Amino acid sequence: MKKILLFLLLLLILPHWVQAQEEASRYLETIEKKYAGLKDYTAEVTVHFNIETFKTPDMQAKLYYKAPDKIKIESKRTFFFPKEGGYFNPSLFKKEDFETKLMERSASDGKQAVKLKLTPKKTKKGIQHFLLLIDAERILIREMEVIQFDGREVKAVIEYGKFDGFELPSHIQLILDIPSFETEGPKDFDQLIQQPKRVTGSIDITYSNYKVNSGLRDEMFENPKKGK
Amino acid sequence: MKLFWFETFKTFSRWRTYISFTVIALIVIITEVVMKLSAGEIVYRMLRPFQKDFFITGNILNAWFVTAFIMNGLHIHIPFLITLVAGDMVSGEATSGTIRFLLIRPPSRGRIITAKYLTALFYTSAIVTFFALVCVSLGLPLFGSGDLVIHHYGKFDMSFIPESEVPARIVLAFIAAIWSMTVVASIAFLFSTLAENSIGPIIGTMAVVIVFLVLGNFPLNFFRTLKPYLFTTHMMNLWQQFLVVPIPWQEILRSAIILGLHNAGLFLIAFFIFKRKDIKS
Repeated sequence: MKKILLFLLLLLILPHWVQAQEEASRYLETIEKKYAGLKDYTAEVTVHFNIETFKTPDMQAKLYYKAPDKIKIESKRTFFFPKEGGYFNPSLFKKEDFETKLMERSASDGKQAVKLKLTPKKTKKGIQHFLLLIDAERILIREMEVIQFDGREVKAVIEYGKFDGFELPSHIQLILDIPSFETEGPKDFDQLIQQPKRVTGSIDITYSNYKVNSGLRDEMFENPKKGK
Repeated sequence: MKLFWFETFKTFSRWRTYISFTVIALIVIITEVVMKLSAGEIVYRMLRPFQKDFFITGNILNAWFVTAFIMNGLHIHIPFLITLVAGDMVSGEATSGTIRFLLIRPPSRGRIITAKYLTALFYTSAIVTFFALVCVSLGLPLFGSGDLVIHHYGKFDMSFIPESEVPARIVLAFIAAIWSMTVVASIAFLFSTLAENSIGPIIGTMAVVIVFLVLGNFPLNFFRTLKPYLFTTHMMNLWQQFLVVPIPWQEILRSAIILGLHNAGLFLIAFFIFKRKDIKS
């Protein structure tokens, strides 16, 4: 009797679960389709660091992106640009690369939003999972949290503007919570006897002067040092 | 003043004075050439805490970084080179048997010891200035200029100084380094007035510097409490503070005053010892 009840329960739950999974994947698919026409973009970026242990003035650079995953930063001066969440890459979330789970639906300021948990099928760059908050009406990633195996947590809050027909980030705020010490390599005696501290803070990235689909060539993304 | 120039002339007429300059030139040349050859490894090690989180561009391994890197060796090799001359200022006269001859001349003992002390300070300034000139003049053609990125090894901790600000800060850091090193000169000079040969003051001064450095770096609470009272803490802190963002002027002033008081105290002790020194026996 118990087995039958359990079977009936599964029959009731399973369709909803499968449906939720499909719905979650559908959001990723819609985003991919929305930006299918975005081949490349160039933008000027200004980075403002608000981290106690990272004392730098605002930095400017030119950022080049080419789909699916090419990125180049050009600056005459020393420039630090956040890797996770710092730039917009619509090709990052291909539905076939992730186990997708619909976490919750919410509504704020009359806007429908969904929260997805994306677990990479193949572990790369030490990423455990992503949490995406997607504006369900405009099909935009509003927030992205990256949780890594080594305890790094980065949350990106993205504001968009319309540039050459595409909705692209005008401002990204990254909220960091990362370990202070290196996880590899030799450590000072001090580091061994103390509890590892965490670095928290935020980075504001402002995007301007977008040029979209200007036909960036692959060669410009090659690292000249690698060829030698 | 005449006596000071006479002492300076005497000091710079000795070939041993130039050992320090040669050693410094060699250290800087070897370090910079090795750093140039292992540039990739240095940048990788230096930026490892940041590379996971950031794309990094720009000439980070530049002349200013290399200079700051070599300056970190100040607390060991420069004090030793300073003691070679400062530790010989008075004891050298005793060793060579010229002290009696010196003291029967018209200038008072006070003027003689002051001139010798000023010469020791002048030599200290000369050696640190030479060190700075070699570092920068060799570093700029080898590594070029750029923003200065200072980071604490193994930690997510970084200060960034724009290229336009760096030369002024490096000059200030070297002036501070001269001020720091005068304390080592003062200790060696004091020991020099106590000894009859130069080996004692040299070894004695180095022993004091090393013991204080070791005590200041023990990662135990007792020694941490002691650290602010050790002259070696201020000796290192003083110049390093000019590479901190923003410059902590209060701390710099405090360290400079503490080191100045050490200088004054050590010189006064040397002064009175020399005034009362028995040269007849």
